[in-house]
Amino acid sequence: MNIIEPLQIAIEELSKLPTIGRKTAQRLALYILKSDKDSVANLIKAVTDLKEKIKFCSVCFNLSVDDTCEVCKSPKRDKSIICVVEEASDVIAIESTNEYKGLYHVLGGVLSPLSGKGVESLKIAELVLRVNEPDVKEIVLALNPDTEGETTSLYLTRRLKPLNKRITRLPTGLPLGGDLEFTDHATVGRAILNRIEL
Amino acid sequence: MILNNIELTNFRLHINTVLNFSDKLNYIVGGNGQGKTTILEAIYYLCTTKNLNQSPDSEALTFNESYFELTGKFKDLTEEKSRLVYSVETNKKTCFINEKQFYKASLIIGKFPVVTLTQSDHSITFGSPADRRKFIDSVISQSSETYLKILLDYNKTLRQRSSLLSLLKESREKSLFDEFDAWTETLIKTGAEIVKHRINFLNEFSEYVKNSFVKIMEGSESPEIEYYFLGDNKTDKVEENFRREIKNRRNDELIRATNLVGPHRDDFVFKISGFELRKYGSQGQHKTFQIALRFGEFFFLKDVLGKTPVFLMDDIFGELDTYRSQKISGYLREVGQAFITMTDFNNIESLHISEKDKIIKVEKGAVAYA
Repeated sequence: MNIIEPLQIAIEELSKLPTIGRKTAQRLALYILKSDKDSVANLIKAVTDLKEKIKFCSVCFNLSVDDTCEVCKSPKRDKSIICVVEEASDVIAIESTNEYKGLYHVLGGVLSPLSGKGVESLKIAELVLRVNEPDVKEIVLALNPDTEGETTSLYLTRRLKPLNKRITRLPTGLPLGGDLEFTDHATVGRAILNRIEL
Repeated sequence: MILNNIELTNFRLHINTVLNFSDKLNYIVGGNGQGKTTILEAIYYLCTTKNLNQSPDSEALTFNESYFELTGKFKDLTEEKSRLVYSVETNKKTCFINEKQFYKASLIIGKFPVVTLTQSDHSITFGSPADRRKFIDSVISQSSETYLKILLDYNKTLRQRSSLLSLLKESREKSLFDEFDAWTETLIKTGAEIVKHRINFLNEFSEYVKNSFVKIMEGSESPEIEYYFLGDNKTDKVEENFRREIKNRRNDELIRATNLVGPHRDDFVFKISGFELRKYGSQGQHKTFQIALRFGEFFFLKDVLGKTPVFLMDDIFGELDTYRSQKISGYLREVGQAFITMTDFNNIESLHISEKDKIIKVEKGAVAYA
């Protein structure tokens, strides 16, 4: 196959993106090639701005334009409660519910020795410092309910327990508004095992 | 569930074979290397999309052909068609249920349950504890998706924890130990769930094995499956014992950098009338036990799933005396449909054959009804 070099390079770069295969990359590259100069410039600017304008909040490590993020700056937020999440994408998920009025703390991953993620590589020391502030009353652990997430929650609970703050976690089990009959068997099975007293 | 009909194309010796089965016993008879077991292999593929001997798909292909195709028609409440095509060019197989393609092999689990009795069952009674765990886990997993999920979680926890143990071998930092304790806690929680499932399962399953054993063995011998987790077989003590033992062996674990405590080191002890089979059992007793385990699995799954599994038996009469062979063929009446390969045509005279059974002769990949 003989593709001219600039096009080839563009295809290679695009196909490095997640969920983009070679064919899609080729289609995207050709589409960009056909677009007018202005829209290409806009695209380039949007991409570079991502890298240049967005940084991590110095308090909670959420995505932010300024040194501290919108959530941390807002006077409307309840400063006594901190919700601990894995990634910034989880903040977006919780924010879109409009049910949570407290602050966040983005760990930047979970404990996973296999992929080289330990306590040092996560923002755990920073979390402990924040929780130590007298204003903070409650910590909500909102990590994914998989093996690594659960273990990280266990670890954090042990680390934070001596600080004498209320520690809560999101419950797992049946989805709200879902049908029991359509929920996958493994989830229903676990929900039965972990049933709660009323 | 009944398998009415299969079609094999370019599948080992079978260039094009169409077979209609009896809903009772199907005896598949022929010499060595004529393509008897291949028919069982094809049925297994259609039920699970996997190879019976876990060998690569390409090996099941007729020499110099570019694809093989298998089709099976099952009758449950309605007719269900399973089809599988393997192509050399892509080295991939495509699977269909009722001509609808599906991509995840897990979707077929529980749809066409299958129980096999083959020579490799030898390892269940003769082999290592890992072989026994594999057998027990596969039976529980077929009846409970939750168990399968917990098992996968547990195995992941083991890998994470062992990777952390090797880190601890190099550096003994305080923070690493805290992390280690958290993984230990996860190990205990998921591990305890596994043990509880195994205890409950064996309480039930032992009865099935006992019943089957009595059916194929005249006399007073009675089988047992013994399972102790850290010296205990009560579900309410599991977590407590686990926690204590893992605390006791903590130093050992750190020195050897291995997970030393947990259900991944379980063993199940098979006994006949109180004697440990692995130490004192004769070849015949081993074989009988293996057969009783598979019959037990069949009736257990039938009750739990509410669906009759397909029963495949590969050349089991070869090693048994006439008396026991008769017993088994008599017991097979209770199974309903089963597929049985045999090398010796004369042997068949001594079995209980009824008019509804079918005898299929296989020679060099060609089939004929006898």
